[in-house]
Amino acid sequence: MADVTLSPLHRADGSATFTSNGYSVVAAVNGPIEVQRRDELPEEAAIDVAIRPAAGVGGVRERHLESILQSTLRHVILVSAHPRTLIQVTLQIISSTEGSFNVGDLPQATSNLPILPALLQASILALLSTSIPLSMTLTATLVAVDGQRLKSDPSAEELKVASSIHVFAFSSHGNLLVVESEGEFGIETWEEAYQNARLACRGDEENDSESEDVSMDSDNDTKLEDVLRIAVRQKVAREQKWKLDLRSATT
Amino acid sequence: MPREAEPSINERAFILEALQENIRLDGRPLDAFRELHIAFGEEYGVADVQLGKTRVLCRISASIASPYPDRKFDGIFTITTELSPLASPAFEVGRQSDLETHLSRVLETTLRRSQALSTESLCLIAGQKVWSLRADIHILSHFGNLIDTSCIAALAALRHCRIPDTSIKGGVLIVYTPLERDPVPLALLHHPLCITLNYFESGEKMLVDATLQEQQCSEGEIVVSANPQGEVCLVQKGGGGEVDALVLLRGIGLAVGKVREVGKVIDRVLEEDAKRRDKGGVVSRELRAENER
Repeated sequence: MADVTLSPLHRADGSATFTSNGYSVVAAVNGPIEVQRRDELPEEAAIDVAIRPAAGVGGVRERHLESILQSTLRHVILVSAHPRTLIQVTLQIISSTEGSFNVGDLPQATSNLPILPALLQASILALLSTSIPLSMTLTATLVAVDGQRLKSDPSAEELKVASSIHVFAFSSHGNLLVVESEGEFGIETWEEAYQNARLACRGDEENDSESEDVSMDSDNDTKLEDVLRIAVRQKVAREQKWKLDLRSATT
Repeated sequence: MPREAEPSINERAFILEALQENIRLDGRPLDAFRELHIAFGEEYGVADVQLGKTRVLCRISASIASPYPDRKFDGIFTITTELSPLASPAFEVGRQSDLETHLSRVLETTLRRSQALSTESLCLIAGQKVWSLRADIHILSHFGNLIDTSCIAALAALRHCRIPDTSIKGGVLIVYTPLERDPVPLALLHHPLCITLNYFESGEKMLVDATLQEQQCSEGEIVVSANPQGEVCLVQKGGGGEVDALVLLRGIGLAVGKVREVGKVIDRVLEEDAKRRDKGGVVSRELRAENER
């Protein structure tokens, strides 16, 4: 399951690591900071996303992922709150399932989608750690389809044989935010994958609305939204600790 | 981009005055390192080094390439360092700063030019196929002394790294997966490390492992690369302030002592990691690639 650390880095304004399914990403956010004149937007904050691969220098693949992230984060961050500034999101891939010692496969041959959910999750966690005003949070997941079988969080081997792979990201309001698909599939398959991803991200919504309190404890199949929530709750508890200590000291 | 914040006049005066009494801001002795943590991942050839709050991650990756035409028997070994906004907001994406050039030059001389890694051992078929080894140094957090930390990370990763075993049968190169044959360690000839000494008062005071603030206040720095055997690979003095030649000699002596100290830490961590990976039993002993020599 996903492993989250908030604020592991000391120099950036906010940072987070997200490890899930063989991928590990560390994200850092600096912002709002001074923006270069040519990038400056008069009415909103400019968002700069930089992705750095685990090995080698970034290429077309990283630029493509950056553009997906940039257009997503533009809608998540309240950009109008900080006009004429820059919010800089830097993502460093720490490890991926590709491994360091490839001799057979060409790097171009591998798909660039499987890392996307980890990048999205890491960037939203880093933004939360920076306390940048957001309109919503998001959760993202990967679904692989192999013939008739659907598999969420597929392994590297399952991805190789999959006929199509899909990335979904949902906002905290329950809306579909990002969808990227690759491979051959029909609309029914997509619908099925969508339902599967929604369950992984947001949990069983019908049941949750009825018994909000019970589901927190009894839900053993943790949904991604809870991972996010728990991480933030722990951060707040840690940061507010001095207050509690102070209170217990005075009484 | 915001500039790196300079220490204020008061901070500078405080640090310098404390140094006159041989006191450092964090209470260390003048010749002590901050707490050093080295962590290895599940994969081979990845080292995460934390020196105080400075954090550097090094990853070794390898692929098969054709050698340079003028160096048919030598494999390719490249070291890349890139400072990103992860480490400090003052670093820009895609623009090389002076610090970065300095860092990559020092690492290049220490690890590559000193023949720490025998590039000949990376040759597979002369003139046709060689291993192209790559060390990516990711600087995650910059709190001073990047050079030493990066060098520790690079050396630890190189020593930890295992590359796939290969054989040649009838002119055909076979690369074995880890399931077929255990990967083999790299042929490292010696283990050099960098030690940066920041000097004050024309070399009267020398600091080992300076923090960012101490670095900013210092008159200059002397970088010494040496191996635990006491052989010096590089001496570099920068910063402009003049020092006596004897100070330089004293600095080298100090640095060699520190190299031995840090080298021992790396030895210990590698040993612990090997113990953790060792499944034990006769089979793993028989399958082991290295012999008792």
